[in-house]
Amino acid sequence: MRHALLIAAKDLRQRVRDRSIILIAVVAPLGLAVIFSQLLAGATEFHADYVVADLDRGTVSTAFTSDVLGSLQASGVATIREVGSETEARAAVESEEADAAFIIPAGFSEAVGGGTSASISIYGATQSGLATSVAESVATRFGDGVAGIQLALAVAAELRGRALTLEEVGAIVGAASTADPPLELVDVDASLRQLSWTTYFSASMAILFLFFAAQVGIVSLFEERRGGTIARMLAGPISPSSILLGKAIGAFVTGALAMGVLIVATTLLIGAEWGPPLGVALVAGAGVLAAIGVATVVASFARTAETAGAASSAVAITLAIFGGSFTPVSQGPEIMATLSLLTPHAWILRGLADLHGGGAAVSDALLPVLVLVAIGLVTGGLGFARARRLVAIR
Amino acid sequence: MLSRTTADAAGSAGTLDRRVVLEATDLRKRYGDLEAVKGVSFRIHEGETFGLLGPNGAGKTTTISMVCGLLARDAGEVLLDGDPIDVGRVAAKAGIGYVPQELALYPDLTARENLAFFGGLYGLGGSALRSRIDDVLGTIGLADRSRERVDRFSGGMQRRLNIGIGLLHQPRLLLLDEPTVGVDPQSRNSILESIAELGRSGMAILYTTHYMEEAERLCDRIAIIDAGEIQAEGTRRELIGLIGGRDTIRLTATGDLSKAAEAARAVEGVVQVAAAEDALELVVVDARGLLPRLLAAIDALGANVRGVEIVEPDLEAVFLHLTGRALRDSAD
Repeated sequence: MRHALLIAAKDLRQRVRDRSIILIAVVAPLGLAVIFSQLLAGATEFHADYVVADLDRGTVSTAFTSDVLGSLQASGVATIREVGSETEARAAVESEEADAAFIIPAGFSEAVGGGTSASISIYGATQSGLATSVAESVATRFGDGVAGIQLALAVAAELRGRALTLEEVGAIVGAASTADPPLELVDVDASLRQLSWTTYFSASMAILFLFFAAQVGIVSLFEERRGGTIARMLAGPISPSSILLGKAIGAFVTGALAMGVLIVATTLLIGAEWGPPLGVALVAGAGVLAAIGVATVVASFARTAETAGAASSAVAITLAIFGGSFTPVSQGPEIMATLSLLTPHAWILRGLADLHGGGAAVSDALLPVLVLVAIGLVTGGLGFARARRLVAIR
Repeated sequence: MLSRTTADAAGSAGTLDRRVVLEATDLRKRYGDLEAVKGVSFRIHEGETFGLLGPNGAGKTTTISMVCGLLARDAGEVLLDGDPIDVGRVAAKAGIGYVPQELALYPDLTARENLAFFGGLYGLGGSALRSRIDDVLGTIGLADRSRERVDRFSGGMQRRLNIGIGLLHQPRLLLLDEPTVGVDPQSRNSILESIAELGRSGMAILYTTHYMEEAERLCDRIAIIDAGEIQAEGTRRELIGLIGGRDTIRLTATGDLSKAAEAARAVEGVVQVAAAEDALELVVVDARGLLPRLLAAIDALGANVRGVEIVEPDLEAVFLHLTGRALRDSAD
């Protein structure tokens, strides 16, 4: 083990001296992550300015303005400003002071209580299509809820055998709005969790270039064999296994350091949110293992350092495409999502995504970690077994 | 099979009473149809520099690779101080220092870092390692350049560092595989001086070369190897003795040279005398031993000797005699 550690330490010293590996493993992915996250910042941060004209001032309309629109404002998605008339609301949109206007007509609450047709008008600016669409969605969703309340009111009236008074309608609407939902989704399935764009690009670029950095172990074996230093070691009291183990340790530490630097740098520089440190460390460590395994098994079929590097790079790019390093697999056809499961890239991204969302625990990333470790052990075992010929006594 | 002398058989002075450090017996290696090494055997004693002299492709590197356990042999045995050396006996290799023909260095590390890495692999550490690094840097003349990257060194400096790495752990046996290939004359001289100093310090050295001058200068005993076989082995004098051990002496003289020639013929060991206008050319056995008696005999007849030139046969001639080919032509 001492020999392996000495070889790994020597390799790391050479890596530090080698500017190209720092460029490939740290500078390039960091630069691309910064560029992509800045380019997409505007598209990913939605905010709308809405005005609302509540001409009804009834129980139901107040529930909409205070509860529904209030929650949008509280979450930072929208700014809500109340105006006194429909004219004011339209003027605000036309003057581009607001992206869209909610106009609640007089008699809205009574219509809801009476089980007749009731509607909320959306007046949107043409240049604010997304904000208008969101406003429509919010109103439609509320309308669906109102339909449920109307059903409740109809059932109550039927049971009492008479029309309900306004006080009774208000009480039922209030109870409906404050009642616990019959089914509450306290968490979303891990596979549906999403990274923010900034975190996604930080992670995907880090993974893409990790596969380039992971080649260093096997490629340096070719170089050392050609340079005669492998033979020099084998002529001394150093076993072939020690050399291979040293190369594997050196490559792992190189990859882990590169990932660590990128995680810290993207967190500090562009606000990437990687998740709980322990979970991220597990996913990143397993990802490094898988990357080294894949790079090693691919390069082990080569005859020279140059062809080994070229083959590993080609495979790294291909896996990155299928693994979602350039576009999220969730945005592509389903076959792509299925194919992505064959790549370490997708499992690393999934592991990181599993660490996001309310109530996410480190154990949520257990499956991706196990898959990555398995990929690393199988491919790495095969790769280093094949690489034994590079340190073989002839 | 050509005639062969061995140190033991020839009774080479100073080796019989010294400990045998390396004993290689009947080493054989085949690559497909090519039998690269055909039963090579030799011994190296403590403090002895043993040369394997032969052209490229003679089997020198294959032999040295089997000796250090870098190459699996088909047959034969290698003992280092009585302990078997084999590819699988990793720990036993620690007693050997190996200097490969190619520059097996890390060019992006400094000289000191290269030495520290290989020293660590041989179990050195801490102050002992630092002390040995300083010693070796002094020996190879790189003490003042130790913190420079190796890729900024000249070829000769890299060669010296290549040798220094082999010395670092103070091996009982140092194997040098053509360590001066591609080196300029000045650096070569420096390297050869360093190796000669190591030999004088008591280290057993196996030195392969296709340069006759290096073998003659450095080696206590030499094995001439060709086509995977040792053709002859012994001290330089013993090897030259294989072709009769006859030297040529050219005497530039004035006076009655015909009488001087007659007197010379009477001296035991003189085989042939030819007289010219102002010189005598004599074919003799052991010119250096004979010269005082020869000069005394000529001087007694009143001839005045103004110059003496001894032309001794060299290993080139021996190689030619043994193989029918010139060593230099074969090496090239």
